[in-house]
Amino acid sequence: MSDTGQIRFRAATEEPPATRWTLIGLAFAGLAILVFAPLIAVFVEALAEGAIEAVRSLASPDARDAIRLTLTIAAISVPLNALFGVAAAWFITKFDFRGKAFLITLIDLPFSVSPVVAGLCIVLMFGANSAIGGWLVAQGYPIVFAMPGIILATMFVTFPFVARELIPVMIEQGRAEEEAALTLGASGWRVFWTVTLPNIRWALLYGVLLCNARAMGEFGAVAVVSGKIRGETATIPTTIEMLYQEYLSVAAFSLAAVLTLLALLTLLLKTLLELRHADQLAANHRH
Amino acid sequence: MHIEIDEISKAFGTTAALHPVSLSIPSGALVALLGPSGSGKTTLLRILGGLEFPTSGRVLFDGQDATGLTVQERRAGFVFQSYALFRHMTVFENIAYGLNARPRATRPTKAEIARRVTKLLELIQLPDIGARYPSQLSGGQRQRVALARALAIEPRMLLLDEPFGALDAKVRKELRQGLRDIHDTTGLTTVFVTHDQEEAMELADLVVVMSMGRIEQIGKPADIRARPATPFVKEFITA
Amino acid sequence: MSKPLIHRSPMPGLGLSMGITLTMLSLVVLLPIGALLLKGANYGLAGIWETVNRERVWSALFLSFRLSLFAALFNLIFGVMLAWVLVRYRFPGRRILDAAVDLPFALPTAVAGISLTALYAPNGAFGSLAAEIGWKIAYTQWGIFIALVFVGLPFVTRTVQPVVEEIEREVEEASATLGASRMHTIRHVILPMLMPAALTGFALALARAVGEYGSVIFIAGNIPLVTEIAPLLIIIQLEEFNYDAAAAIGIAMLLISFAMLLVINLIQVWSRRRIGYV
Ligand SMILES: Nc1ncnc2c1ncn2[C@@H]1O[C@H](COP(=O)(O)OP(=O)(O)OP(=O)(O)O)[C@@H](O)[C@H]1O
Ligand SMILES: [Mg+2]
Repeated sequence: MSDTGQIRFRAATEEPPATRWTLIGLAFAGLAILVFAPLIAVFVEALAEGAIEAVRSLASPDARDAIRLTLTIAAISVPLNALFGVAAAWFITKFDFRGKAFLITLIDLPFSVSPVVAGLCIVLMFGANSAIGGWLVAQGYPIVFAMPGIILATMFVTFPFVARELIPVMIEQGRAEEEAALTLGASGWRVFWTVTLPNIRWALLYGVLLCNARAMGEFGAVAVVSGKIRGETATIPTTIEMLYQEYLSVAAFSLAAVLTLLALLTLLLKTLLELRHADQLAANHRH
Repeated sequence: MHIEIDEISKAFGTTAALHPVSLSIPSGALVALLGPSGSGKTTLLRILGGLEFPTSGRVLFDGQDATGLTVQERRAGFVFQSYALFRHMTVFENIAYGLNARPRATRPTKAEIARRVTKLLELIQLPDIGARYPSQLSGGQRQRVALARALAIEPRMLLLDEPFGALDAKVRKELRQGLRDIHDTTGLTTVFVTHDQEEAMELADLVVVMSMGRIEQIGKPADIRARPATPFVKEFITA
Repeated sequence: MSKPLIHRSPMPGLGLSMGITLTMLSLVVLLPIGALLLKGANYGLAGIWETVNRERVWSALFLSFRLSLFAALFNLIFGVMLAWVLVRYRFPGRRILDAAVDLPFALPTAVAGISLTALYAPNGAFGSLAAEIGWKIAYTQWGIFIALVFVGLPFVTRTVQPVVEEIEREVEEASATLGASRMHTIRHVILPMLMPAALTGFALALARAVGEYGSVIFIAGNIPLVTEIAPLLIIIQLEEFNYDAAAAIGIAMLLISFAMLLVINLIQVWSRRRIGYV
């Protein structure tokens, strides 16, 4: 509400300019110290011995194995969670049943459980000491200290991302369009592919984006279940830890820089989605 | 209080909401600003209340230049179209708000505030709703609470933006009489905005017909009916 | 007449969507959590108590909770201010600030951990400045506090922002016409309206901080009784194959999480009941 030539007056709903600029200054200072400084520090440390050294450390076998494993984990766990998210959102928004609120609470549960506790749960369930885990190990399918355990741990901590994004959007869109398609004789799958999916695609992409960022970066839960075996179960974050503790600072921060670039890319895409498709994203992300 | 509007104009960016308008409102009058949507009624009312500032021109209260007064200094009882009640406060707290907001030196005692709120609740004929929250009231009740809240600060004038706009026809008629009664008991100079010509004609002492940021005619309801000054007024009041 | 468990619906895919939802939820989340609870049940309340009731465990739990509380309080105040600045003011760089708020969500915790350590270590950019006035940050509780502020930063801002957007201008104007100064309006009208959302964000930040591991362990120093956090204790027990002890601490933490989940829900029910919105 800027009215030109009205410098003399201040609107009733505005703070004095001094207050306003102080608050803006505090916001910049706070975020500079808390967010921008750590962000810059990653790259400064990675490039401490020059760009060549940083790139060379990324080509080391440890780093390459870690990158390959992390990509594999994400490639399996993210689509599975997307499948879950779509199914759960469909079940919750297209049907009326008792205990719906409780089900939503259960889906949200992983957000309030410590990643370390999540890893612990999986160790207790599938570890060699447990009934199921012991049997699986005997069959030659170990879960803990192996890839399936890491996938389970990753899925646990990223479990709610897609469902949470889709449910509010699908509630808002209602069922009328699907009902219309059904009365026109479309089959169930056809309704899903041609009516529902186009309406939720941006929200789905948004959820998958956040899910993926978290999946590639998960540390606590993976640290517990993976055993951190070099070349076998060490993901990027656990390799960063190992390198850092061996005082291989440049190597650790170079890998960290890779994940940081991924985080920045995620934020960029997320911001673009929010700018372009705000109306098709969950209400609480609108700003 | 006598209100004088002297060559007030208002532009929002490049759109002119008000071309220079002048208007004199005698003390104690009940005035309707009548006109179609977008004619500048709300803008004029907000300028009187100090919520908007004119691009040029002056506002005089009892002959004193009030153009530079802040909202707080104007002490205008303002009733918003949406009522703008504070959702997290009870009706009692809403009405007491203006008194509690005064600096300590001029703030009445707790007992005095309670006494005044009780009296206002009786004035709007809702003595028993003090403990309720706005979300627990009907539209008509909210409107009356908003009026009581505005009256609590002992305003120098009463400004109402489409006070009955959000209500159904029956409640509207009842509250119309209620506003007339309150005006007559308090004797406050009162300006209300409406686009309902029947409402303006029935309730107001003086009707100001506006169109496209200009005042088309000022007059008593009977005069406007009998002698419309412009083709616009003629069409608007017969429509 | 009792309500049917599932209402009839013309929508297709009931069996499939319900099947996938319940199966995956059980496999990934419910059964593992059940395994922890079962372990606890076998171990018995007395056993859990015996494990938890040791100085090292108490001090780790207390440390995690206390520093999380401080960090969440900091984020409550800073987050509300940030939400206000981002929604209400227009200034160059606003979009970048807005996007930056999400960085702690997007940046992996291990990366945040080593980066904060590099900054605040005695030879780091901020650490060396602090060292000049004799203030040690990394490897002390200050370091843990800073890491917890970092991970909790987005919660309050992101829950409060939409509420600030929805405040009607007229409500603030009404306050002003009633004679209230801008400060009075902020204190008595605006902040109370933001309070439910701010508290929700606060509880979320607190819950996140209590369970946080990756960003903390690098900067913490991990000295028993001084800078050892509860999640680290679980990992130490696991590395020594003390599954019972790990489970006992895990259950204690799970109970803290559930309690906080309950508090969040109560806040929302309370605010909906009282003022008709969340
Ligand atoms: N804050 C603003 N910014 C820009 N233009 C505005 C603003 N407020 C009002 N206007 C414009 O000024 C003109 C007059 O608006 P005003 O609200 O005074 O009309 P009104 O007579 O109250 O109409 P209604 O009956 O619809 O409430 C309109 O063209 C409107 O678009
Ligand atoms: Mg209007």
